[in-house]
Amino acid sequence: MIRAQGLTKRFADTTAVDGIDFTVEPGRVTGFLGPNGAGKSTTMRMILGLDAPTRGTVTVNGHRYVDSPAPLREIGALLDAHALHPGRSARDHLRWLAASNGIPTTRVGEVLDIVGLDAVGGRRVGKFSLGMGQRLGIAAALLGDPEVVVLDEPVNGLDPEGIRWVRSLARQLADEGRTVFVSSHLMSEMSLMADHLLVIGRGRILADCSMQDFMTDHAASYVRVQAPDTTKIEALLVDHGADVTRRGAELQVQGIDAPAVGELAAAHALVLHELTLVRSSLEDAFMALTADSVEYHAKSATEVAA
Amino acid sequence: MTTTLERPTATTARRPGFDRVLLAEWIKLTSVRSTWWTLVTTLVLGAGLTILMCWGNADWLASADADESAGSFITWGMMIAPVMAVVLGALAVTTEYGTGMIRTTFSAVPTRGRVLAAKLLVLTAVMFVVGTVTALVGYVGANPFLENEGIGLALEGDVARSMYGSGLYLAGIAVMTAAVGFIVRHTAGTISIVLALLMVIGNMVMLIPGDLGDWLMKVMPGNAGAGIATPVSFNPNLLDPWAGFGVFLVEIAALLALAWWLLRRRDA
Repeated sequence: MIRAQGLTKRFADTTAVDGIDFTVEPGRVTGFLGPNGAGKSTTMRMILGLDAPTRGTVTVNGHRYVDSPAPLREIGALLDAHALHPGRSARDHLRWLAASNGIPTTRVGEVLDIVGLDAVGGRRVGKFSLGMGQRLGIAAALLGDPEVVVLDEPVNGLDPEGIRWVRSLARQLADEGRTVFVSSHLMSEMSLMADHLLVIGRGRILADCSMQDFMTDHAASYVRVQAPDTTKIEALLVDHGADVTRRGAELQVQGIDAPAVGELAAAHALVLHELTLVRSSLEDAFMALTADSVEYHAKSATEVAA
Repeated sequence: MTTTLERPTATTARRPGFDRVLLAEWIKLTSVRSTWWTLVTTLVLGAGLTILMCWGNADWLASADADESAGSFITWGMMIAPVMAVVLGALAVTTEYGTGMIRTTFSAVPTRGRVLAAKLLVLTAVMFVVGTVTALVGYVGANPFLENEGIGLALEGDVARSMYGSGLYLAGIAVMTAAVGFIVRHTAGTISIVLALLMVIGNMVMLIPGDLGDWLMKVMPGNAGAGIATPVSFNPNLLDPWAGFGVFLVEIAALLALAWWLLRRRDA
């Protein structure tokens, strides 16, 4: 379990993380979603004690990570898959990591096998592709068989097969009762991976709810209507209590479902050219939710928060 | 709060001992080629230049014109070998900052002082052994040329001290550079600063007139520390070997204190 209380990180002139509270529970995959620069990586670095919070606290299993009796057995983290010495082999990289926490060397072979790098373990990581580096980072995260797994953008650089593998791995780790905390800036990816969602924008938590609730609350739907004479239909629908928005030649109707629109039109002998139920995607919902933070970043050219 | 899960590892395991951190740093240092290249270069240049200079100068050193001692030539290569100790000390620290791997290191060993200590101990051991072996190989290769001219040196007294003294000096240089590496966190910056300090500033201060220049020259780390690595220094105005090495150690300790303080304060 990870718990943050009033967690704040201020850099020279920006507030990367602004007094956030959250709890990441074991046994499920918690997605940490936000646009680039929203504060995801900074938060994860604070969880691992790499960055000191300006204010507030974050604990892992009830204590600060720096006080952990067995760091790698407690948290396995993938922060930056390219943060490797290019001249060292994958196996040697895992070997020193294992040694530092007294993890038996046999575990190195096991995790290389799990991530599918057993054949290239002896190769220097400077020659690795993006995806192989990502897999090695995940191997390092699994090395200590940790209770808590933190993965920052784990699907970056992976091919479709690799992406599916990360998804099922996250699922499996959560099913084993572990705490799984995965960040992404892609809503579509999160919707396939996460049970619980933590949306962050501009250093603040914008949503903290189950994936299901997020879909219900934020993914709005409407009925798209096209017709030779939209004016009459619009008046008719409004009379029946619908919420109608005119967008170019089409009407976007909410508050009344598609069959009802069709029946009303038929009853009044009006011709329809299109009658479609449109569900706005989760991506749209996410964009709407974080519009402020994205806008902010677009306007401020100097903003380079991590 | 305690987790309800029955995962005994994190809650019951003891914190891994310092020997584990030492082993990790040992694996790191020995698993990259740059380390081996640096150490081989130390040996080849450090011993090779000593042998070359003694071969070329033995007859002159034995002649009446000689105004230098054979004792200065028997460790000649130790004037160049510090460059490699600087490179090794820098790389052991700054490649981790350059690549971002330092964050993996501090995730695995959150008590940063242990990482600092382990790195320095491993560097000290490696550089002491390689430095001493380099000096000995140089002696064994160079002394026959001196013996041919009747000015051979016995491996005792100041000559023996200069052998392990070479190891101590190179270890000190590597540790000092590593400390600067933790402060500067940048490979080229670290190497430039230390080399400038050893090779340029150490000689430039001689230009300052009077006692101040004389005193500064004596305490500059390259000058203070180098005396122990040679039986007879080319520069007659240096501190005594052990006194100089003491000054050198104090300077290293000051840099380490600064490095440790910054390491605790700064975000990784």
